[in-house]
Amino acid sequence: MNSLLARFPVRLLIGLAAPALLIGWWQWQASAHIVSFAPPAAVGSALVEMLRSGDLLRDTLSTLARAFTGLAIGAPLGVALGIAMGIWKPVDRVLGPLLHALRQVPMIGWLPLMGLWFGVGEGTELIVVSMSAFFPSMLNSHAGVAEVERRYLEVGSILRFGTVQRIRFILLPAAMPLVLTGITQALAFAWIATIGTELLTGAGSGLGVAMGQAQMQQRLDVMLVVIGATAALGFVINHLFRRLRRSALRWQPSLP
Amino acid sequence: MASRAADFPVAGGAGAGFRFRLPPVGAVVPLVALLMAWQIACLTGLFPPQVLVPPSGVARALVDMTQSGELQRHVGDSLFRLTVGFAIGAVAGMAFGAVIALSRLAEAALSPLFMTLWQVPVIAFVPMMVMFLGIDEPFKLAVVAIAAFFPMALATFDGIRGVPRNWFEVAKVYRLRLPQLIRRILLPATVPAVLTGLRVSLTRAWVVLVAAELLAADSGIGQMMEMGRQLFQIDVVLAGVMVSGLIGFLLDRGARWVESRATRWRAA
Repeated sequence: MNSLLARFPVRLLIGLAAPALLIGWWQWQASAHIVSFAPPAAVGSALVEMLRSGDLLRDTLSTLARAFTGLAIGAPLGVALGIAMGIWKPVDRVLGPLLHALRQVPMIGWLPLMGLWFGVGEGTELIVVSMSAFFPSMLNSHAGVAEVERRYLEVGSILRFGTVQRIRFILLPAAMPLVLTGITQALAFAWIATIGTELLTGAGSGLGVAMGQAQMQQRLDVMLVVIGATAALGFVINHLFRRLRRSALRWQPSLP
Repeated sequence: MASRAADFPVAGGAGAGFRFRLPPVGAVVPLVALLMAWQIACLTGLFPPQVLVPPSGVARALVDMTQSGELQRHVGDSLFRLTVGFAIGAVAGMAFGAVIALSRLAEAALSPLFMTLWQVPVIAFVPMMVMFLGIDEPFKLAVVAIAAFFPMALATFDGIRGVPRNWFEVAKVYRLRLPQLIRRILLPATVPAVLTGLRVSLTRAWVVLVAAELLAADSGIGQMMEMGRQLFQIDVVLAGVMVSGLIGFLLDRGARWVESRATRWRAA
């Protein structure tokens, strides 16, 4: 049995069995005329329709733009603040408790408050996405600097490093892996927050907005196309970032 | 995190000596200072009350809602959904993770579908679930259950796969039956990973529940905030932010406490 499972075609066949069963069940449900249960074939035609009209491309691009703009705002702030908190303890003492308190609130839970302050629109969406990117970058960068190995610091003190040299040659390189981990996490969080805020506010265009509209129009086929696009994009982005992280850390001999 | 940072003499150079944990007072002072600055900013009219309510106003809203029983109802409903949905999702996730970890056939058959679905943020399933389940209680329980299911299944899978092979060989030597194998070897060996999975999925479930309540609910913390927004009751919204943050914090801390208690034997 196990030797049979080691062969790729066999694995592929077995792996496809569960999705095939699922699609078969779905076809059966759809043909039993259950309301709003579009048959599997309808998803294909919805995909073609959405590709042809350009809706899918527009929604995808604006979701990507929102997620990466949020990342571009939140992650550098988080990295800078996290490193500053790791290097200068007074900064940590003053800001740490506040940031850790703010962090406890589910990010999407900020939406009503931000909606009241800035109106329910694209600005609010971007703020919440940026906040979602901020916290993982901040926490990981802080940990990266704060948990630098003692012996590195000892070498620095033997070489009589000044503050700038210690930061430049010891703390920053040592913190790099965790900083990049933080940014990778920030990307994942920003991506989820983008879909969530788009879905909840319904402002502008984007995959989340399209999902919300599909729900209101009871278009299961459109919804599944959008969910599929979300999954594929999330997978590709995470994969790309992991490769980027690995190539940025080539110089590190042993990396998990 | 802050206490770990204090273990290293980073700021003062290698000669600065050790510093141990920050005293709790030190952590509280900046927060109190912030609350005071917030109160003063509101009292001096820097922010009009339509924009920012002072901490005293938020406290009053909390007291009022407690006296009318409204707050208890929202918190109770949210926690009930969290408990039931989480229990369903976590148990199902554990069972699923155990099955695909123990059987190569089950893994080959189910893990591709599982891994594909796992790429989708749980929140993206919300509109589809609203279509099928409506916006009532089953929908919210299902959202929480799904949010808990995935991390739980992965943690259980990793935990069981991480059990050293020779432990199974020992079990074979002792001719342990399956129930015994599970009770004597698998359970103790996988407890740490499963507890970490429980903590992660608990906090995720809470986040997703608040989002689902914001979208569609007649009660719960999320709905309380959303109603506050629609009625321009900024004190209610701020109270909701605080309560949801506090609940998230307590869930995380509680799970960490259980985790450290239950895995104490490993250090010995």
